[in-house]
Amino acid sequence: MRRYSLFYFIGQGFSGLWRNGVMSFASITVLVSCLVLMGSFGLLVYNIDYNLNEMSTLNEIAVFVDQDCSDLQVADISNQIRSLANVSEVRHITKAETFEQEKQRLGLDGYTELFDMLEEDKNEVYLDTFIVSYSDNSRVSTLEYQLSHIDGVTKVNCHTEVAQTIEELKNGIILVFTWFLVILFVVSIFVIMNTIKLTVYARRQEISIMRYIGATDWFIVLPFVFQGLIIGLIAGGAAFIVEKYLYNYILNLITADFNIISVILFDTVELPLLIAFLGIGILTGILGSSLSLGKYLKA
Amino acid sequence: MIEFKNVKKLYPNGTLALDNVNLRIEDGEFLFVVGESGAGKTTLMKLLLREERCTEGTLIVDEFNLNSLSNFKVPHYRRQLGVVFQDFRLFPNMTVFENVAFAMRVIGEPYRAIKRRVPTILKIVNLQDKHKNFPHELSGGEQQRVALARALANNPRIIIADEPTGNIDPKMSLEIMNLLLKIQRKNKTVIVVTHEENLVNYFRQRVVVLRDGRVVEDRIGGMFNAEI
Ligand SMILES: Nc1ncnc2c1ncn2[C@@H]1O[C@H](COP(=O)(O)OP(=O)(O)O)[C@@H](O)[C@H]1O
Ligand SMILES: [Mg+2]
Repeated sequence: MRRYSLFYFIGQGFSGLWRNGVMSFASITVLVSCLVLMGSFGLLVYNIDYNLNEMSTLNEIAVFVDQDCSDLQVADISNQIRSLANVSEVRHITKAETFEQEKQRLGLDGYTELFDMLEEDKNEVYLDTFIVSYSDNSRVSTLEYQLSHIDGVTKVNCHTEVAQTIEELKNGIILVFTWFLVILFVVSIFVIMNTIKLTVYARRQEISIMRYIGATDWFIVLPFVFQGLIIGLIAGGAAFIVEKYLYNYILNLITADFNIISVILFDTVELPLLIAFLGIGILTGILGSSLSLGKYLKA
Repeated sequence: MIEFKNVKKLYPNGTLALDNVNLRIEDGEFLFVVGESGAGKTTLMKLLLREERCTEGTLIVDEFNLNSLSNFKVPHYRRQLGVVFQDFRLFPNMTVFENVAFAMRVIGEPYRAIKRRVPTILKIVNLQDKHKNFPHELSGGEQQRVALARALANNPRIIIADEPTGNIDPKMSLEIMNLLLKIQRKNKTVIVVTHEENLVNYFRQRVVVLRDGRVVEDRIGGMFNAEI
């Protein structure tokens, strides 16, 4: 494409935008809302994931071994646990170690004598324990099930309820927002389609003259595609600015009130978010205009 | 060379606009097409522009057979033609220069060539002083001259004018006709549709008379004869 023509198409794109100001503004507004919602939702999920990962380093499953198991059997159980999927680390705490831990914890407050008495019976009172760390939060219930079904395991203590609740919440959010987004994008494309259609209608006289002069379909249609592209670009840029201020505003609220939650800084996601917004904006704009011109091109 | 062979045009609503038209127009010829309103003159032009297609018969323009010309090639074909309408059909938001330049831009001419050629064409139609004006600042005759300049921009082989003087006062009409003859002398085929008796009789060119979609007279140096 010649530079002269490119300038013409871009100029025509802007002029179309200007001539149908109200509809163009509506398109941009709808698209911005759509992008900001999508961005916020993406950032929310990203933050939840980030926090879940932090939590999972604290998340461990305690596996208690039957009193009667021999050392050999305990070693076998240890091997079985290690061979399971999703297990990242296994720590064995022997009966003696448990005894020492308990003694340390409780012995200070005048229970010293009690522990002296227990010293001889510790193998009957305490259990061998395995502390199992895992890598994937979402498959923890499977792991729990597998652990409880190992021969010689009496009890599995799993403190994953919080993580699981958050995981479920996340999945719920993803589901709701996905549908919400699909609807919003359809609306965006529909609004852009109508904007372009109105512009085409306003220019039908010019288009018919262009046809007589010998303009190709491409030459006639490209200004409208550029108009869609410009709508998408403006919406992408605007959505980015809105998202940035919104995110930092919420970040301030959260870090002031709950310091247990770790929040990702906007800087770290700035560039990918900008690229995604512009990309999706341009794509939606071009798609919207192409869809409204498809029928026209065939004629 | 333009050749209509047994051309019939039946509109979808059942109107038979052209009926068995046979017409051969040589390169560089000047031709008036006359006839009452509804005789089929505009339909003839629309067939030539490939805006409509023949229902029956064949229409050949130089190397193009319009019966089998694909939609894809229509823009390329139309660049061989220059068209002028009764209502000028200029771009109101473009200056005189831009209106003419636009025709060249449409076919992808580089700006350098456009800058060189447009003033030359504006000189032919005697509008070199108005190149910065917008259409609404011009008289009807001047606007039609801009349209003519635009039709000439891409150096077409054939000029088609459908009632070019319909919206112009008589003195200006004569000037437009003189311009069209001047263009014909540059070895272009010029076809002028009109129902203005005086003009036709004044210029004594080939005249094709249409009535109810049929060619009822075709004479060189002919007169407009309402009796026929
Ligand atoms: N698009 C159309 N659809 C149906 N009938 C048409 C159409 N265009 C023209 N006609 C009819 O065809 C006949 C010839 O019209 P036209 O070629 O415009 O005549 P002229 O230009 O000589 O006045 C008229 O009866 C007119 O009503
Ligand atoms: Mg007519």
